[in-house]
Amino acid sequence: MAGLTAALHLAERSLRPLVLEADERLGGRLKGGPPVEFEHAGQTWRFGTEHGVHGIWSPYRNLQAMLARHHIRPVLVPAQEEEWVLGLGRWVRRAQMGSAIRDSWVPAPFHYLGLFARPRFWAMLTLPDIFAMFPLLAGLLAALSIDPLVEEQPLTGMTMADFNRGWSPTLVDFFTGLTRNALSAHPQATPASGYVAFLRFYTLLRRDAWAFSYLPTNGGTAIVEPMVDALRALGGEVVTGARVTQLTLAKALPSFERVAGRVTWHQNGEPRSAEAAHVILATDAPATEALLRTSPDTVEQAAKLRLPGGRATAIVRLWFDQAPTGLHAEAGIFTGDFALDNFFWLHRIYDEYIRWGRATGGSAIEAHIYGPAELLAEPDAMLLARAITDVGRAWTELKGHLIHSSLTRNEATHTLLHVGLPEEHLAVTTPWPRLHCCGDWVRDRNPAMFLERACVTGIKAANAVLGELELEPWPLLPHLPPEALARRVEAAMRGVRRAMRPRGKTNS
Amino acid sequence: MSATNTNYLTNLFRLLAGNRMLRPLVVSYCVTASCNLNCCYCEDYGARRNATNGMAPLSLADAKRLLGIVRKRTDSLIFTGGEPLLYPDLEALVAFARRDLRFNSLTLLSNGTLLPEHMDVLRHLHRLVISLDAVDPQVWDQTIRGAPGTAQAIINTIASTARQGGARVIVHCVLMPETLVQAQAVLAFCIAHGILFSCSPQSVNNWPRYELLVSAEYHAFIARLIALKQSGAPIFGSLPYLRLMMDSQPYPCYPLLAPRVLPDGGLAYPCRPIERSGNAHGGQANLLDAGDWQEAVRRSVELYGSPPLTCGSCYQQCYVEPSLMQARPLGLLREIIAFPSSRHAGIVTYAPG
Repeated sequence: MAGLTAALHLAERSLRPLVLEADERLGGRLKGGPPVEFEHAGQTWRFGTEHGVHGIWSPYRNLQAMLARHHIRPVLVPAQEEEWVLGLGRWVRRAQMGSAIRDSWVPAPFHYLGLFARPRFWAMLTLPDIFAMFPLLAGLLAALSIDPLVEEQPLTGMTMADFNRGWSPTLVDFFTGLTRNALSAHPQATPASGYVAFLRFYTLLRRDAWAFSYLPTNGGTAIVEPMVDALRALGGEVVTGARVTQLTLAKALPSFERVAGRVTWHQNGEPRSAEAAHVILATDAPATEALLRTSPDTVEQAAKLRLPGGRATAIVRLWFDQAPTGLHAEAGIFTGDFALDNFFWLHRIYDEYIRWGRATGGSAIEAHIYGPAELLAEPDAMLLARAITDVGRAWTELKGHLIHSSLTRNEATHTLLHVGLPEEHLAVTTPWPRLHCCGDWVRDRNPAMFLERACVTGIKAANAVLGELELEPWPLLPHLPPEALARRVEAAMRGVRRAMRPRGKTNS
Repeated sequence: MSATNTNYLTNLFRLLAGNRMLRPLVVSYCVTASCNLNCCYCEDYGARRNATNGMAPLSLADAKRLLGIVRKRTDSLIFTGGEPLLYPDLEALVAFARRDLRFNSLTLLSNGTLLPEHMDVLRHLHRLVISLDAVDPQVWDQTIRGAPGTAQAIINTIASTARQGGARVIVHCVLMPETLVQAQAVLAFCIAHGILFSCSPQSVNNWPRYELLVSAEYHAFIARLIALKQSGAPIFGSLPYLRLMMDSQPYPCYPLLAPRVLPDGGLAYPCRPIERSGNAHGGQANLLDAGDWQEAVRRSVELYGSPPLTCGSCYQQCYVEPSLMQARPLGLLREIIAFPSSRHAGIVTYAPG
């Protein structure tokens, strides 16, 4: 996504970018997957798959502006409601919570109070949860005092668990569930800088930041393929199945004054290479680190890098011959003792699944498993059994109605974002001349996360190249400011932070 | 109390109860999909699509029956198109709506080219909205791609219609980066002629055009509009809407407040962009087949699901203004108290587009 964004912006300025994609399909985590096919009621049904359902959140402004500018912005499917499913053994409770947060009558940052207007939310809580409200408030206010991404504050050594200290298990569960939708990790493994950045970007500063839509179909079809078409129409070249194996920097080349270096890749088992005036690395963090550490010219500096890690995930899809009764939310989070982390009722979102639901009266759910590692290490059959059991616990009416199931395992490429030290975490501008980076893991003074961060850093990488060529850069759309009350509370909390900071210390 | 006001109050209670099945404040009826101009920014109809839009307009008898169905749900109606004056029986239809059905608010959205031959229609209207994006005839001609001299004729028509009195004239201006300077001239023209001025950002692919959003001139223009409105200038757009134009913040969209009825009598559900996309979340229910507004809505919900929440897309005034005014009763109260034009010209039912 980030690479295509950068290439598209360069091509719009009449440059001729060459996109090398290691996979056979473009789009990284946004690409579509192999289809699933099965027989049911005398008919063959075929469904697309993907890395996982993607949300286009209201703060994704640069992404939407870019797609619209190229007339490839799909008509999105607005999210209606998200549900919190809490399970402890046989005790399972559900509460609708998405609308309570984004439609709250209480302004941000106190809009979570809207949850307390929902009786079902109260039913999830215990007495210790009520007493834990003050530590919770303190934790959220602490998150207002610092913007790790924009201020480049690594919050070294701190995890989400540190922020949640003193909270009751239920509330920790709830915020963990919310956070896992993006960061895909458990509290002890979630860096505090990523957690705070997530809270600020997606929910804490504005009620409407939690408003989002779904793509009408998988990300490959809805976004990536139209982007590739637009890029090719502008003269860009795209090569798939081209795994880059080495970067040779210009200083080692006779043509060092006019090129960034030579890129070597393998395609169909054959080594190929090309000199490039500018190089943009739009690989995920693990692949970037691997490439830089295996290229002799970059290995020395790359050894110091500590790039954000990637998380492996498992995506389960289950088809049933009946739909759950009284279904209000099309998505939600699981907390408590569920193995599953979140879910999406596909027959409420994607066209092909809606058609399936209407034709058969059935339903289909996608559920994500983000870990821990021991759970993901289990065999496919065991993970599927857990998923089927969990869904049956939450929607008992679906027990015995399973028709088909599929499991997709994603490689450890889902970014677990954190803010690293400048010498350890690559930014758009790298230590190497004419070599730039973009992606949702890249260090940049911008609050955006995930798809929007990929887009923003893609545009910035393109701008870096355009700047070197003395061409006009692309202006970025600013992110929306906090709500008035959140802005005031934020200012006050920053004052508290400054007052508490030891003299002479510039970092947090 | 008028049906629109009753619907507004009913909707307030429904929203408080978390119910998004709202009653319409105003219905836009596209009497014809045909147009005689080719505005460069038009994403829906336009002369270039006349041969392919495939929607024949209703006969006068069916159109009257359709309006009867609409009238049972609201008393505010907008005639739009295409170019509605291309509908051969428009005057008879508008007269029927006014005299027989007693609509309380009738608005015609027109490009103004055919108005001189249909001046009688004005007698039945409460509001006449004419599109004008530039006062320089050359620039305007380039935008609408009409025959030479079309633009000057439209400008003359607007001025003479405003002088004539009767229906309240509103000029609607689509803001484009190329014509921002002209938009300022349109504003000055409106102020000089005592015409209400309204505007929307150009939409590209259901999103405000990028070049506007990153333009300092655009933001300065909107800031000037807000200042002028507050000083009493005839700006017809609520303050919340003008502020929304400034930063394109997400807003709670309630498309059922300003539903579109297509030339064949189809109710575009839940809104025109989603209905037109052809995805499984939107489509049409024909009002004449259903025979009743609620029945058409019921069929739509059954087929396409509940109306959506914020999709963060269109920022044109058509869906935004009624949504903002419904969601912000205090904002509406302020509009009514502080701005006579909002009060007299009915800001809550203003949905051009």
